[in-house]
Amino acid sequence: MSEGGIAEGDAREVVSKGRAVLGEGQRAERRLGLWLCAPAALVMLLVAAWPVVYSVLLSFQRYDLRFPGEKAWIGLANYGTVLASPFWWNALGVTLLVTVVSVALELVLGMALALVMYRTLLGRGLVRTVVLIPYGIVTVAAAYGWKYAWTPGTGWLAGLLPEGSAPLTQHWPALGVIILAEVWKTTPFMALLLMAGLALVPEDALRAAAMDGAGPWQRFRLVTLPLMRPAIVAALLFRVLDAFRVFDNIYVLTNGAQDTSSVSVIAYHNLIGGLNLGIGSTMSVLIFGVVALVAFVFVKGLGASAPGEVR
Amino acid sequence: MGRGGWAALNALVLLYALVPVAWIVSLSGKDPATVTDGSFWPTRWTWDNYRGIFADGEFTRGLANSIGIGLISTAIAIVIGTMAAYAVARLAFPGRAAVLGVSLLVSMFPQISLVTPLFQIERSLGLFDTWPGLILPYITFALPLTIFTLATFFREIPWDLEKAAKIDGATPFQAFRLVIAPLAMPGVVTTAILAFIVCWNDFLFAISLTSSSRARTAPATISFFTGASQFEDPTGSIAAAAVVITIPIVVFVLFFQRRIVSGLTSGAVKG
Amino acid sequence: MRWGRRSRAVLCAVLAAGAAGCGGGSGGVPVVNLYNAPQENLAVIVERCDREAKGAYRIALNTLPRGADDQREQLVRRLAAGDPGLDVLGLDVTWTAELAEAGWIREWKGAHAEQAAQGTLKQPLETARWHGALYAAPYTTNVQLLWYRSDLMPEPPATWDGLMKESARLAGEGKPHYGEVTGAQYEGLVVWFNSLVESAGGSILSPDGEQVALGPPAERALGVMRAFARSKAADPSLSNTKEDDARLAVEGGRAAYELNWPFVYAAMAADRPEMVKHFKWAPYPGLDGPGRAPLGGANFAVSRFSAHPEAAFAAALCLRDPESQRIAATKDGLPPTIEAVYRAEGMAEAYPMRDAILKALRTAAPRPKTPTYQNVSTVTAVTLSPPAAIDPPRTLATLKELIGDALQSKGVLP
Repeated sequence: MSEGGIAEGDAREVVSKGRAVLGEGQRAERRLGLWLCAPAALVMLLVAAWPVVYSVLLSFQRYDLRFPGEKAWIGLANYGTVLASPFWWNALGVTLLVTVVSVALELVLGMALALVMYRTLLGRGLVRTVVLIPYGIVTVAAAYGWKYAWTPGTGWLAGLLPEGSAPLTQHWPALGVIILAEVWKTTPFMALLLMAGLALVPEDALRAAAMDGAGPWQRFRLVTLPLMRPAIVAALLFRVLDAFRVFDNIYVLTNGAQDTSSVSVIAYHNLIGGLNLGIGSTMSVLIFGVVALVAFVFVKGLGASAPGEVR
Repeated sequence: MGRGGWAALNALVLLYALVPVAWIVSLSGKDPATVTDGSFWPTRWTWDNYRGIFADGEFTRGLANSIGIGLISTAIAIVIGTMAAYAVARLAFPGRAAVLGVSLLVSMFPQISLVTPLFQIERSLGLFDTWPGLILPYITFALPLTIFTLATFFREIPWDLEKAAKIDGATPFQAFRLVIAPLAMPGVVTTAILAFIVCWNDFLFAISLTSSSRARTAPATISFFTGASQFEDPTGSIAAAAVVITIPIVVFVLFFQRRIVSGLTSGAVKG
Repeated sequence: MRWGRRSRAVLCAVLAAGAAGCGGGSGGVPVVNLYNAPQENLAVIVERCDREAKGAYRIALNTLPRGADDQREQLVRRLAAGDPGLDVLGLDVTWTAELAEAGWIREWKGAHAEQAAQGTLKQPLETARWHGALYAAPYTTNVQLLWYRSDLMPEPPATWDGLMKESARLAGEGKPHYGEVTGAQYEGLVVWFNSLVESAGGSILSPDGEQVALGPPAERALGVMRAFARSKAADPSLSNTKEDDARLAVEGGRAAYELNWPFVYAAMAADRPEMVKHFKWAPYPGLDGPGRAPLGGANFAVSRFSAHPEAAFAAALCLRDPESQRIAATKDGLPPTIEAVYRAEGMAEAYPMRDAILKALRTAAPRPKTPTYQNVSTVTAVTLSPPAAIDPPRTLATLKELIGDALQSKGVLP
């Protein structure tokens, strides 16, 4: 995609340079290029591509480790089972909800944070450093922090709630806490990506707009936002795909109780808890399909490009 | 906006980032008797929780696994990632777009889609619950980040120097080793930190592909903590362990702040 | 001390990575790795067995997580990987069929089986059997009783209807009137439902565990759960209540009675000594008369992948012999599975309710036996939660369908 885009620019440069050099040198370069890429390509193919193919094969089988004798090829029956299950659809709904709500919140908060970091002069280094702490914290560690903060009797946040409420034991409040944990942890990352985008907006354009009588909000909406569009779309793509994989926070906060399983959590339960390789693989394949679809929509529909190109 | 306004905004940002962290730290300093008093700060600070987790071989073992597996994965990912990134940034060869395409795909990959097949493959190869069993997927997920970030750094390195070296008779590999590699060092360090964070942070592979303290990393170990008795939650120990596994990363991040920010935003990187 | 054992176990697990396992440890003494749920004084029992073994083996105690689901998950994951680092496994009574069917635990035969069955109560022994063969040695058992405050409820009712009436009366008098049941979405909810179905004369599964039974008794049971969850007896937090929440509600004075395991008695004596004289027990209630109480407990099994099974069987037998059971009962409040132990020294003080337990054990309701129990239980708990929303005919139909799928391992876990 985008990276390919940059790379092609370089490729042309390389190729034109290559022509000036001897044909022998060009061939050596090709060979070297292939050799240098071979280990990385091999690892990625062996550890990512082969398992994906293998999970497709597993998804066509009845394969429950507890019934080793009953292994059999059953075609698409696992897909029928999963797609007919209300648990699966609920998990997909939860995942989409968490993804959409948390990414939307992150975008708004991240933009605010980016503006503060970009425009502030006072204590700029301190703010830029401290804001990296949520990014640096191990997700599981932060998740336990949130869990105990909302546990009645133990937590300072639970203490602010009316007596007898235990948010993590109810569906909607639990989802709220999950989203909060996601947003807290990843907003700084979003803000950093957006700040890189802010740097693209020429001060001249903003000054010219100000001269024309545009207020701060108008300048932001009419000048900054359109110029940042590629950075925003790229940041959104990466965060959406990342949020879609949400696992750690849910595993720690509720482990899927009160219908709060995400697709990753439900697949984990069926694989590790249920030891059902057939159903687990079917879910893996379906999740992979959804992610591919989301990426495709972003790339084709919104013209997303990776942040690398934004400069 | 005036100075006061900015100061208030900055203070808000600091609170946002620090309050949840302070809460975990404070929880880790509470003694078991007051852990359920619900106050933000402990009435009496104690090191008992820290002493407790280090007195127990499980957590120390988890830390050792985390450090070992993280360092090995990072080292391998950096070596083969550097080679690939150099090729991608500097050389013309067929299949370059394919390497980038595959890397991009892997970086967007839902990890859970790999867990089921890897669980089965590693079981049959005897890699389940071993260091290599975790190192392999970690390398795979660190590679795209390594390739993208380093390719960006490599493109910024002055091209003419390499050309000059070649004119002086250096082979492409010598040019890479003697000229480009030293210039790329800062980029490699940054990338290594980002890759290490990815490995250190992982939870899903760590709980799915291990079954004992033989290869279980620290974040997974925490989730298996048991309280002193059946009805006592290991709250304090979990908080203390959470602080311990967070410290190295926070130190890295604070120390290399500027580089990490540029690394995160320059490549097509997801940390 | 604890550290030493732990680190040895870790070292052992590392060594076991090879093929030999830990058998060839120092001086050739086989190390038997015991995996068990957290039990405060299990180390005392382990030390005693180490002494009794006189160098024939040494037991390394490894503690599993607290939650039953987490314990099972850790065990099956290691067994699925053929891990030789496990020897003796402390199993919840509901896991026997699953592990036996998968071929992960060894059958108990000959002298071992005889010794495990000798003097053992029939109901707990039955939980260790699968398809007629013995797969574990019963260690502890458990049975729920009705625990009530005699100052509020002088005459304990024998039926659920009676309990609801008592709660209504107490509510009318402005006294604590909640009755605590394990109504959260977890195994405890399945335990409650199973007990009601059995009390109504039915069962969740057919005796061979292959078909869904349910039927009219289940519909009656669902009706009782719904009525209870909507009556004056229902605590507002009923749909979040687990065993320990129920205990705390009674200790805190909010509830008049609870359906719970006997650990609540010792806890009451320790936490609220002034309340314990009014804290009484009665048989588990039924639909038309006394009910069939939920049956719990734990058994010891030997892993298929154990490198020294003989030592493991010997260790398991020692860990559950009468003296070990007496220690578990008096120190940790876990009811024995060997009948004679109920009359042993110290039992009268620790178990004033021991006759009630023994009596309840005779009619206790075991949970269904099936290798897919985990799936059956999970979908049952999800379907029944929250109990106030049960609609008997509709809920019954959903249960039939989901449990049927779960039995064929084609169901999806939530």
